[in-house]
Amino acid sequence: MSEIQEDRATDAILARANARFDKWLHERRVATDRLFAWVLVGQWLFGIGLALFVSPYTWSGKVQSIHAHVWLASFLGAAIISLPLLLIWMRPGTAVTRHVVGLGQMLASALLIHLTGGRIETHFHVFVSLALIAFYLDWRVLVTATLTVVADHLVLGLVLPESVYGIANPEWWRFLEHASWVTFLIAVLFYSCATTIKTWLGFSQEVVLLEALAERQLDAKS
Amino acid sequence: MNRSLSWSGIGLWAAAGVWILALAGGFTALLAYKSTPGVAAAAPTRWPQASQIEPARDRATLVMFAHPRCSCTRASIHELGQLLARVTHPPRVIVAFTLPGGVGKDWRETDLWRSAEAIPGVRAVADRGSREANLFGSRTSGTTLLYDAAGRLEFSGGITSLRDHEGDSLGQERLVALLTGHEADKPTSPVFGCELGDDPKEERP
Repeated sequence: MSEIQEDRATDAILARANARFDKWLHERRVATDRLFAWVLVGQWLFGIGLALFVSPYTWSGKVQSIHAHVWLASFLGAAIISLPLLLIWMRPGTAVTRHVVGLGQMLASALLIHLTGGRIETHFHVFVSLALIAFYLDWRVLVTATLTVVADHLVLGLVLPESVYGIANPEWWRFLEHASWVTFLIAVLFYSCATTIKTWLGFSQEVVLLEALAERQLDAKS
Repeated sequence: MNRSLSWSGIGLWAAAGVWILALAGGFTALLAYKSTPGVAAAAPTRWPQASQIEPARDRATLVMFAHPRCSCTRASIHELGQLLARVTHPPRVIVAFTLPGGVGKDWRETDLWRSAEAIPGVRAVADRGSREANLFGSRTSGTTLLYDAAGRLEFSGGITSLRDHEGDSLGQERLVALLTGHEADKPTSPVFGCELGDDPKEERP
């Protein structure tokens, strides 16, 4: 085989390996979209159940009325998941779907935190959500999700500083204290995404190379 | 093909616009609900003589008025426990649960009542017909009053930062300051909770 022919064969194998890698990545992202469809609907139902169980009514003396949490869990919860679900149905595996899902997931965290009365335990949902979003193997979506958390903190910190920090005039670095934990997790997830992608690229080249060798042996036999 | 793609694209953009507006409206409503305080107490500056709650003579007395079924007050009870854990010499603490006229025994068996009783040093009492709440000028569940050993009002307000929201709050910081021998920047804070209800006249014989 001449040098030119060898180069062409290598290029063909690399192109086939890249196509295989793209296929795997697309399949993974579509599967993650489907996972999030279940997660989003499950969280919505959980939020409604939580509101009905924990705070079904508000009271004025003996008079009860449906608690605002029940309406918010039902309608704001439905609004949060509506566009992500529409995009998962209409545009699975696309970048816009991933970003909207990431945004919706973080807003679902914010709603759950409010529904549970700001319990510190519910804040863990933010970290679980970021880990789930990393399933997409797309660092850009992690940035979108992180910016959603940052925007939530900034807006609440400006409008209602007590709701975030418990005091009216928090020290400027209090924001960094919260952000540093998210940054720490994001750095770990970035690294995890990058190493997984690198491993998959290597795998795709090895698989395609093995396939090419097998095909060549079959050709030689026939 | 292109035409149908463009129509679906326009549809998605329109859906995105509606989504953003719905979320902005929803979260604004959520924050408005959580940050709107209840009616502030018009507490007497001296411990009312007509009160059947016995104040401490050797230390301060802290009274919280609570609705036994108000889920928003769950955060206030939780924060009361946190507050007491932060002070070395705790005051006498009474949580007075409003019992409107004509309600059943089940109003005394709520999780809030049990939570309050489970806090060390806290005594939960029934306030039939909001008699005590009216004497202390309290209309909102979660209203917390602090009187010193001489019976002078030192603080009146809530100990949560928002409605049904756990975590540090201005009210809690001010109470901790007062209970640890420091000065509070203000003697009041907003209170978040259900209306205690019961027109005072309704319960009078």
